Amino acid sequence: MTAAHQHPELDKDIVRKHDSPMRSYMVLAIGVAALLLGWLFGRQAPGSWLTAYLVGFVYALTLALGGLFFTLLHHACRASWAVSVRRLAEAAGATLPLFLPLFVPIALGYRRIYAWTNPQNANPAMQELLAHKAPYLNGPWFLTRSVIYLLIWAWMGWWFWRRSVGEDDTPDPAVARRLRTISAPALVVFALTINFAAIDWIMSLAPSWFSTMVGVYFFAGIAPAGFALVAVPAVILRRRGVLSGAVTDEHLHDLGKMLFAWIVFWGYIAFSQFMLIWYANIPEETKWYATRLNGTWLDVTVALAFAHFILPFFFLLSRKTKRNGVTLAAAAIWMLLAHLLDVFWLIAPSTPDGAGGPIGLALTVLGFAAIFFGAFALAARRAALVPLGDPRLQESLEFETV
Amino acid sequence: MERSSSPYGLLARFRGPEPLLTAARALRDAGFKNWDTHTPFPVHGMDDAMGLKPSRVPLFVLVLGLGGAAAGMLLQWWVSVRAYPLTISGKPFFSWPAFVPIMFEVGVLGGATGAVLGFLGLSKLPRHHHELFSSAAFEHVTDDGFFVSIEASDPQFDADVTPEMLRRLGAVDVETVMTEEST
Amino acid sequence: MIRAGLTSRPGRPGELMAERVDIDPIQGRAPLIEGAATFHDITETVARPVEWKPPLGWWLVFGVSVSLLALFLVSIAWLFWEGVGVWGNNVPVAWGFPIINFVFWVGIGHAGTLISAILFLLRQRWRTSINRAAEAMTIFAVMCALIFPGIHVGRPWVAYWLAPLPNQMGTWPQFRSPLMWDVFAVSIYGTVSLIFWYVGMIPDLATLRDRAKRLVRKRVYGFFALGWRGSNRQWSHYEKAYLLLAGLATPLVLSVHSVVSFDFAVAQLPGWHSTIFPPYFVAGAIFSGMAMVVTLMVICRVAFGLKRLITPLHFDRMAKLILLTGSMVAFAYVTELFIAWYSGNLFEMFTARNRALGPYAHAYWLMMFCNMAVPQIFWFRKARVHMPTLFVASILVNVGMWLERFVIVVTSLHRDFLPANWGLFKPTFWDIATLAGSFGLFFTMFCLFVRFMPMVAMSEVKGVLPEAQTDEETAAVPASEAWQES
Repeated sequence: MTAAHQHPELDKDIVRKHDSPMRSYMVLAIGVAALLLGWLFGRQAPGSWLTAYLVGFVYALTLALGGLFFTLLHHACRASWAVSVRRLAEAAGATLPLFLPLFVPIALGYRRIYAWTNPQNANPAMQELLAHKAPYLNGPWFLTRSVIYLLIWAWMGWWFWRRSVGEDDTPDPAVARRLRTISAPALVVFALTINFAAIDWIMSLAPSWFSTMVGVYFFAGIAPAGFALVAVPAVILRRRGVLSGAVTDEHLHDLGKMLFAWIVFWGYIAFSQFMLIWYANIPEETKWYATRLNGTWLDVTVALAFAHFILPFFFLLSRKTKRNGVTLAAAAIWMLLAHLLDVFWLIAPSTPDGAGGPIGLALTVLGFAAIFFGAFALAARRAALVPLGDPRLQESLEFETV
Repeated sequence: MERSSSPYGLLARFRGPEPLLTAARALRDAGFKNWDTHTPFPVHGMDDAMGLKPSRVPLFVLVLGLGGAAAGMLLQWWVSVRAYPLTISGKPFFSWPAFVPIMFEVGVLGGATGAVLGFLGLSKLPRHHHELFSSAAFEHVTDDGFFVSIEASDPQFDADVTPEMLRRLGAVDVETVMTEEST
Repeated sequence: MIRAGLTSRPGRPGELMAERVDIDPIQGRAPLIEGAATFHDITETVARPVEWKPPLGWWLVFGVSVSLLALFLVSIAWLFWEGVGVWGNNVPVAWGFPIINFVFWVGIGHAGTLISAILFLLRQRWRTSINRAAEAMTIFAVMCALIFPGIHVGRPWVAYWLAPLPNQMGTWPQFRSPLMWDVFAVSIYGTVSLIFWYVGMIPDLATLRDRAKRLVRKRVYGFFALGWRGSNRQWSHYEKAYLLLAGLATPLVLSVHSVVSFDFAVAQLPGWHSTIFPPYFVAGAIFSGMAMVVTLMVICRVAFGLKRLITPLHFDRMAKLILLTGSMVAFAYVTELFIAWYSGNLFEMFTARNRALGPYAHAYWLMMFCNMAVPQIFWFRKARVHMPTLFVASILVNVGMWLERFVIVVTSLHRDFLPANWGLFKPTFWDIATLAGSFGLFFTMFCLFVRFMPMVAMSEVKGVLPEAQTDEETAAVPASEAWQES
């Protein structure tokens, strides 16, 4: 049925050995510098700067959450194919603790972007509505919840990485079983925290708007980002010879298939939410889309539909593009950029000041990306690039896709 | 009515999927063209062992799938904009968001039709009568029988040498299957 | 070969082979088929029920089903004669049991496609023992489903107006209506499911053809087997077609129940207009469908001697899927309740309160119990492989899911925006008779299926046996792990 497949030899030394971490520290430093520069640039318009900061924050956070989701999912499903690339996802999830300190500027300045913090500026009808929501949408509770989400994710990201790494030298089947048993309830907690984080950080930007789908939509962006995030280093490290023993065409194909599936899922969720709100035409709901379908935002919306769904759908349909490292990595990088567009599209149109000038926004977003990727690389460096202790590693190396 | 029979080919039975794969590789390497293997389930690796090219069914699916989707959208556009435009809750005549579900469904129907037509067409089915059915042993092909069939029309076929070759490759039984021709 | 072995260890009744399933989940995986089975064993095990006289149990179930089917036909005849007034449908609840039953049956059908198509794409080999029966269940469930919209229109004799056909009146259907989307979605779903089921059965029909002793059987099976001869060239096309059909059926499942959810969600009615409806309905459909598969398989494996093919491992997997999809449904309930409050919308908040505290509160709380509480038992491995627990829980899940549609339809309609328009819905005898009758149709078709058609996908099961593995698959893998489910 399929071409003769490879039985790769995994060179355990290569996946353990790492060159100097200086480069990663440098990337981190560049990121911090870019953030500071962005602040300097945008200082005059703190509302815009904070919006740009929120966009960057949510973007980088969703990449880390994508890695965490990848890890949890494959533990819960006992999927053996993904084992050889799972360490990359675990490393991405391990960066989650970083987002607690990164949240501080938002905690200090959220009143500039969340309109519900200033009910006195609103018309009487809106004031009445905000008074109704006050038990949920109030400063202290909002901040407490945000910290709770970040703490939970930080703990999960760190714990799943730490346990897996601990097995590298001394494999213990009890650990692997523990990881699997915990992953299922962890997914439940993950789902709930994602849902309410989306409600708090994204939906409440437009406090009169509501949609039960918002949490699912947020998740639908996180999942493909996670798979794209794993695919890129998997391809690069394979080319460099580091992971050539662990990552075969079969793995790339499966990563490509899953990426394709999550892209389709995103398209389905995005379209469903839009179509239902469009169809019922209720003003308190359509307002949110009306902002995004008028003026310059219309261009962004159309671009998003093409970039995040239509183009990658047809590109990843073919078997060849999924099995080839170059095309798969290109598609994955494209998706990471499309995801950024998605996050920007979710946040910026609903903020009072918008995201400000392009330079400030670019600096801030680049800053976050650099910080995330720097931290990602550092976390990956601290252990072998493949979960050597996982009992299903051998299966993963030999697997052949349908 | 006179009936003359000429040999259709050989039917060789093997013990299991493993010996069959080995035999298939040997036959492929020997340059046989008009032959086939028969198994109760698809054997992993047999396509390679036989040197087969990948199936062209996906092409049928893609063409008919996209065609179906286009047809679905075209139908709705034509009905709602040209043939019988109705003003429904102030929506535009070409309400494309409302047309997506049916467009998608008709596309899937097209794709599924393509899969079936492609499969049947390329497999040359239905074909209720085939020379191989005259063999009693062949009844086991849907149970636990693993067979190789080589047509006499194959250029490599030799009525004396080929059966021996099959036996050497591990066939537990080789029989000659006749065609039934009427003059 | 496989750890925990094949020796029979008597366990407590109902706990059958729980111990055997308790194989170290990390080091080794439990066998898919128990006992050393050859290809011929599989053929015999599956073909036997088709060729022998059916056991008494089959006749009993068939008898009851046919009686219910007769009730169904009588109910429909009476409906056509007297009109839709024989049902409880009225103002304000203009949609009553028919649409509840429609959504219920379509939902059940989806699990069959999940098992056939989605689990195939995910390389879950354990599906091979149950996918044929599950696909059949889909076909029959869709049949039941399609009948309801057909009969509930006031003038069923012009139901063909729903089809986009040129006519003398110069009219065309209104494609912006989700009810039209339903017509296309559900009929296409039925068609594609039928195609998928049939194509998958061709090799097995050929098996029955080759085994048939009587000429009539040989001819009939032979006709439908299309002359299949197991040729690898044909297998190559077959596998590709099967893969692509699976790939098409997967988004189809998602889309069909989403379209069904659109029936409600495109409206402006509180409790109906909720953007999460599409994935929530799909999860709910798979939830109820899996439960129905469990109910059917618990009975069939015993009744037809298929215990070695449909093992506790299969139930373990299915129970986990029930838990997963049940959790998704629970998630949607929580989100809807929260957003109903958050929205500050008077009507949304009232609808939520009315569901929990109004005249239909009993239905609501029973639904919550069946859908949120009952599946939680499947966190425990012992429950996942305990047949009586599985049987009871799966039935409760389906009761809960029927009630969910009841709650959605009735509570949102009976008290909407204008209090002067409020009313109550009371189901009539014919409502219930038609619902019960639809089960008659379903089970009659299922009984006929197990009687005349191969209940298990023989060729697929053979393909996952150890004997089927070739050296390409087993090269570097030790014999004990040579054959595992994905």
